[in-house]
Amino acid sequence: MTTAQIRGLPVVTVLGGDDVAEVRDVIYSPAHGAVMALTLNRRGFLAGRRKELLPSSSVHAIGQHAVMVMDEQALMPRDEARADVAGAGGDRDVLGNDVLTERGVSLGVVRDLVVLAGTSGAVVGYQVSKPGGGEAFIPLPAQLSVSGKALVVPDLTEEFVRDDLVGLGAAVDEFRGRLGLR
Amino acid sequence: MTDSLRAAAGRKVVSRASADTLGAVSHLVVDAKARRIQAVVVGKGRKARLVEWEHLAGFGPDAVMVTDESALREPADDRDRAAADGKLELVGKRALNELGTELGTVDDVLFDPEAGALEQLTVGGRAVPATALIGSGSYAVVLASDDPAGAPAPTSVTG
Repeated sequence: MTTAQIRGLPVVTVLGGDDVAEVRDVIYSPAHGAVMALTLNRRGFLAGRRKELLPSSSVHAIGQHAVMVMDEQALMPRDEARADVAGAGGDRDVLGNDVLTERGVSLGVVRDLVVLAGTSGAVVGYQVSKPGGGEAFIPLPAQLSVSGKALVVPDLTEEFVRDDLVGLGAAVDEFRGRLGLR
Repeated sequence: MTDSLRAAAGRKVVSRASADTLGAVSHLVVDAKARRIQAVVVGKGRKARLVEWEHLAGFGPDAVMVTDESALREPADDRDRAAADGKLELVGKRALNELGTELGTVDDVLFDPEAGALEQLTVGGRAVPATALIGSGSYAVVLASDDPAGAPAPTSVTG
């Protein structure tokens, strides 16, 4: 799933079956390779911002149709959330970055993150605009260094560029497996 | 013997003491945690009243029996009022698995009319054992994931 698909999803309690909020935005840490927290809106017609944050540690699962939490206690006031979660950085530090392989080939510009559905926010790839035009999906290694303007990925990434999310699902496991063997 | 939520809707509610029909079953309220019928909602809208399962004299195929009219009570708290408004009705409700994927809507729920225990849900045309039921509320019914490990361990990016 891309974060564009996650924004606007209802936040639903597993134990209560109630929609307690909806996703406003995604706070991503490239260093952790994971979503750190979700910011929230209220549900309903008069939807406004909710002050609470939903830390990923309290997320049961991010799914295609809902973000699941055990109960409403998962929503934490901002000042109680850890500093690195509450930071206003958001995912903007990688969006717009150029993706370069180690030998200097550009794979495109980051447009969105790909989150593994059913997890609490594992980021397994990026959606990129290809240098020649068009969209593509690339898998990410488990950890990644990011400068703020560009990010450098292993040469192997070139072999695993995929046109759609379904293809990327299979590519991620094989990609990470082959990186681990080197 | 097995009864179902869909079949029970509209069934008459009769006082055993006076043999009067007190109303008709609007729907049944389910306790998802205990996986059993919690109460019967009699009548609709502002006239809706509730009977706790324990206060029924019998849940028959043709009539739901109560000892007398005093078994029916007005909605008392927020949950009662949500039940009276039909917000907690299971039939027709969206079903989500615990990983946040929609499974369709709840078509029907089978239960044992003697004990009130839920037996099986039909969701999107598929039979699901009642043991998979985790939660139920105003927005959705939440079911355990099919994943035998029970933990979020998916392999698909889209799924």
